[in-house]
Amino acid sequence: MRVSTRAGLVALLLLWSLGPMLWQLYTSLRTPEALLASAGGLGGGWTLANYGAVLSGDPPFWRYLLNSTVVGALSTLLTLALAIPCAYALSRRGGLLRLLVGGGLLAAAVFPYVLLFLALLQVARQLGLANNLLALCLPYAGLQLPLAVLLLQAAFAELPPELEESALLEGFSLWQRLRWILLPLMGPAVVSTGLLVFLFSWNEFPIALTWISRSELLTLAPAMARIAGSSVYTVPYGAFAAATVLGSVPLLALLLLFQRQIVAGLTQGAIKG
Amino acid sequence: MSGLLLMAPALLLLLAVFVWPLLDYAWLSLQAQSVFTGLEQVPVGTLNWQRLLADGRFWQDAWQTLRFAVVSVALELVAGLAIALLLHQRWRGRGVARSLALLPWALPTTVMALGWRWIFNDPYGPINGLLQLLGLATVPFLAAPELAWLATVVADVWKTTPFVALLLLAGLQMIPHDLYEAFALEGGTPWQGLWRITVPLLRPYIFIVLLFRLAQALGVFDLIAVLTGGGPASSTESLAVYAYLNAMRFLDFGYSATVMLGMFLLLLAGAAALLLWRRHTEVRA
Repeated sequence: MRVSTRAGLVALLLLWSLGPMLWQLYTSLRTPEALLASAGGLGGGWTLANYGAVLSGDPPFWRYLLNSTVVGALSTLLTLALAIPCAYALSRRGGLLRLLVGGGLLAAAVFPYVLLFLALLQVARQLGLANNLLALCLPYAGLQLPLAVLLLQAAFAELPPELEESALLEGFSLWQRLRWILLPLMGPAVVSTGLLVFLFSWNEFPIALTWISRSELLTLAPAMARIAGSSVYTVPYGAFAAATVLGSVPLLALLLLFQRQIVAGLTQGAIKG
Repeated sequence: MSGLLLMAPALLLLLAVFVWPLLDYAWLSLQAQSVFTGLEQVPVGTLNWQRLLADGRFWQDAWQTLRFAVVSVALELVAGLAIALLLHQRWRGRGVARSLALLPWALPTTVMALGWRWIFNDPYGPINGLLQLLGLATVPFLAAPELAWLATVVADVWKTTPFVALLLLAGLQMIPHDLYEAFALEGGTPWQGLWRITVPLLRPYIFIVLLFRLAQALGVFDLIAVLTGGGPASSTESLAVYAYLNAMRFLDFGYSATVMLGMFLLLLAGAAALLLWRRHTEVRA
């Protein structure tokens, strides 16, 4: 392919991927008058007031980001704590059980989980878990376990068995073998699995939407939907755009920092699962 | 034995999250539980199921969901392959470009659905701004059924093509370069190489992409809930949105459970068809 053709295609790709985001950034920095006067104009009318409005709202926007971060981090820890022992045990077994569990996990991993929201909501109400931010970790861990176990199981299976056998001869207990021999070698797999779980929990919508009604406990995704629904006919979108930008920045940072691990997890998950 | 003990906590949570809801729906679909029963459960036999079979909106939404999923995933597959081929070549800045191209996939769907609503806004969004600049009439993208449907497809393709591209890129990296060199020596053009080498060898990856993406697209909820709310006149409503409305807006829990179970059965039939198709093509190949 000619270099100039390729440069053109790359530019087109980046324009397509980033254009909508850049448009939000532009909108968020314009005054209402400037937005109504000319879409895409650059003269006059720049402002930070939209960010001020969003950050001083009730609750302030950073509260949603904080809630999402807390839920994301705890869900990730809980998922890994449950998935690692399960994946280990699964990788040390052969035959029918592994095949059956593996098949079930794959089916669960691709299942459109939105179908489960009503039954999960009923459980939450019966157990008094509605409007409890931390309780969201339970369904999130459950929903992400299939992918996490499949990924970690494949990583365990790649470690040479001699490693564990010699540790066994040294008299290491199961916990010691996991903690000191196996897990240190699985760093990349654990990190990429954890990142995928974190991204899911950060972005999850239908369950957070139905479990949480108090506005100061909302995570980012339902908060955005509530912002969208509250003022459908409010034009222009300056404040909306500011919210979109603020909601995107943490993920952009995460992506730039961990691009390699996220991509590894994603591709491994699909291929080994 | 200790193996089962290690797996038990995870398996219990999995049963609670995936299996219990389906059993719950099976029970609930045989009950009336709505505002008319004071939200109490009253056994009604197969009444909900009879209603489902005759419910025009359910079948309309099933068709709309299928159309949305097939068209979006087909476009994502073509665009994703093109992007994967581009990102597979060696050039400076490829790593950064891969990161940036992945951004749409990483963002919360509700965040960008709100963004797209502004982009499609009539008359103040950028697309209509451009049309006005060219002296053309503005287009009410989200107020006309066909256009609103197109808007949901565009937003979905934008959001999930990076995922497809990455999986296909992983597949491309598995294809030995010698194959292309040998093919070129025998006088094959790159375009022929794409169809005779790349696509056949990518087939397992394409299958995985289809499996993941079709399942997700058939369950589409976040995007439609925020971008169009299912409108105008439920023309973009998906089955998941309909099930949600039945439970949370119409407070008809028995019927909502029936809709979700009905959707589950349709998905199961689709998955079986896909597996049969794969077996068929494998035998042929």
